Amino acid sequence: MSALGRILLVEDDPKDVELTITTLEEYNLANEVVVTRDGEEALDYLYRRGTFTTRSNGNPAVLLLDLKLPKVDGLEVLQQIKSDEKLRMIPVVVLTSSHEERDMVASYRLGVNAYVVKPVDFYEFVNAIRELGVFWAIINEPPPGSIKAK
Amino acid sequence: MVRCKPQSPKPLSRIQRYGLAVLSVSVALGGALVLERFHFRDVEVPLFLFAVAVAAWYGGTEDAVLALILSCISFDYFFVEPLHTLDISLSDLPYYIVFASFASLVTWFSALRRRVEGELRQARDDLEIEVAERTQQANLLNLTHDTIFVRDMSDVITYWNRGAQELYGWTAEEAIGKRAHELLQSVFPASIEEIHAELLHSGRWDGELKKTRADGTRVVVASRWSLRRDELGRPAAILETNNDITERKRREQEIRILNEELRKRTAELEAINKELEAFAYSVSHDLRAPLRHMAGFTELLKKNTASLLNERSQRYVMMILESAQRMGNLIDDLLAFSRIGRAETHKTMVSLEQLVEEALTEVRQDTEGRHIDWRVGGLPACYGDRSMLRLALVNLISNAVKFTRTRSQAEIEIGCMNQQQDQVVVFIRDNGVGFDMKYVSKLFGVFQRLHPPEAFEGTGIGLATVQRIAQRHGGKAWAEGLVGKGATFYFSLSKSPGV
Repeated sequence: MSALGRILLVEDDPKDVELTITTLEEYNLANEVVVTRDGEEALDYLYRRGTFTTRSNGNPAVLLLDLKLPKVDGLEVLQQIKSDEKLRMIPVVVLTSSHEERDMVASYRLGVNAYVVKPVDFYEFVNAIRELGVFWAIINEPPPGSIKAK
Repeated sequence: MVRCKPQSPKPLSRIQRYGLAVLSVSVALGGALVLERFHFRDVEVPLFLFAVAVAAWYGGTEDAVLALILSCISFDYFFVEPLHTLDISLSDLPYYIVFASFASLVTWFSALRRRVEGELRQARDDLEIEVAERTQQANLLNLTHDTIFVRDMSDVITYWNRGAQELYGWTAEEAIGKRAHELLQSVFPASIEEIHAELLHSGRWDGELKKTRADGTRVVVASRWSLRRDELGRPAAILETNNDITERKRREQEIRILNEELRKRTAELEAINKELEAFAYSVSHDLRAPLRHMAGFTELLKKNTASLLNERSQRYVMMILESAQRMGNLIDDLLAFSRIGRAETHKTMVSLEQLVEEALTEVRQDTEGRHIDWRVGGLPACYGDRSMLRLALVNLISNAVKFTRTRSQAEIEIGCMNQQQDQVVVFIRDNGVGFDMKYVSKLFGVFQRLHPPEAFEGTGIGLATVQRIAQRHGGKAWAEGLVGKGATFYFSLSKSPGV
């Protein structure tokens, strides 16, 4: 098994965070997960600002991004990332409850790498999170400069 | 208007004229002889001149010449020495010449007068004919319902037909001689100078004018002006035709107001629709999250406590999970239903037969192990939204499959009724459990169900969706049924593409 890429989870709902982390833990994918609770915090992490000024250099291997977020919403975060030369290569996966077509279209227009609707059914949810974790943190070769566990 | 015209004297015949000449000379001669007898002197020459003048006046030039010759002979014979002979002495000749010249002058004046009189008579006759023709034309103009009047270049009315009297309430006697724009208080759409410029340029003008009737009420007219020029090409008069369009303008105004109201209502509806969309979005996003948590944590609870919980507690956990699942389905169906109402319809010509075929393929996946006798009749092509119509058919056919589940030999018939001219009516008939007609009004309501969920599953949104799809195609859905004997569901679609 190759090195585990760092996952940046941007999710405001603590219950969703817990369900996601629990699932990732179950498949030993949770070691390199960083959780931010709104768009501003996520951008702080990426730009090493605020509470993240001291973190080590490097981008996450993947960003799991909810759309409905306090302060700065998911689409704004996505736009910021994709318009920044240093961040635009980070793979971004939108992970949302929204079935709405306009959200999907807006996300793809901004250059999202994948769009996943959180299933209501627990087993489907677990499957989705597991597959996302395995694919993006292990199988996918992230762009240079991404943080990986040694 | 009929006038008595004086009769011109009938022209005399040639014999009458010559008779007149002879008679007038004879009377003059007789008169002269009688007067001579009574010793009046030198009256014969004026008398003969008078005779010639009478002959010239009433008879003409020929007459005058005859009268002149007769006068000369009579004068010579009866009054010039030697009497009673026709001899003429040389010394008398100038006397004759003066007489003849004078008589000729009288004749010439007389002829001139006759000619002038003839020309005058001709002119008068021509004038009378023209007056008659004009009167006839004017009477014709009176027959039309249109309002027609003529005004000269200083705007004074010179003609006013009956239509004008009926529209404006002024009689011809009242209107003629008045200035038209003052009498009718005309309001023009442009300056009168501009209108006159166009009239002089093209000979015509038309537009809408506001005018005032005799009773003070306002009237809107469609006005057409034509310019009449005299023989020298100078503008002479303006013929104006008016049609009352007050009622039409009022209706147009009404339509404008109604359109404005409609526009406002549409804007309101659009705002409401936007709100509804925001609501649906919020339902889609915000209601799902807690549901997912309920299901997720219950699953985790079930997993972590599998060995600790007794059978009853495990059943409770199962029921929580089933309820969460069911609520998820309800939300999905509700969103799909609301989308049917909100989505734009993309209408094309659709083969219903092909759609039924597709719907059957989809539904048959769930009919394994069932004995179903399918009877599909001929179906027409119609104008509609393909995916919506397909959904309606899938809902109705899967309903038929569901409610015939208790039959060992199910019969499902799909066909088309052909009575209606402007509508296509499709029916799906089954021999399933049917329903009580008492509840038929509840069948098509959202989340309305006539069977307990343990007997037949479902959220109760399928028929409501069918009804909404039919409505969006200018039709409706309805049903007939009998408990235990099966049911027939119908939906109609408008044939015209406009709906």
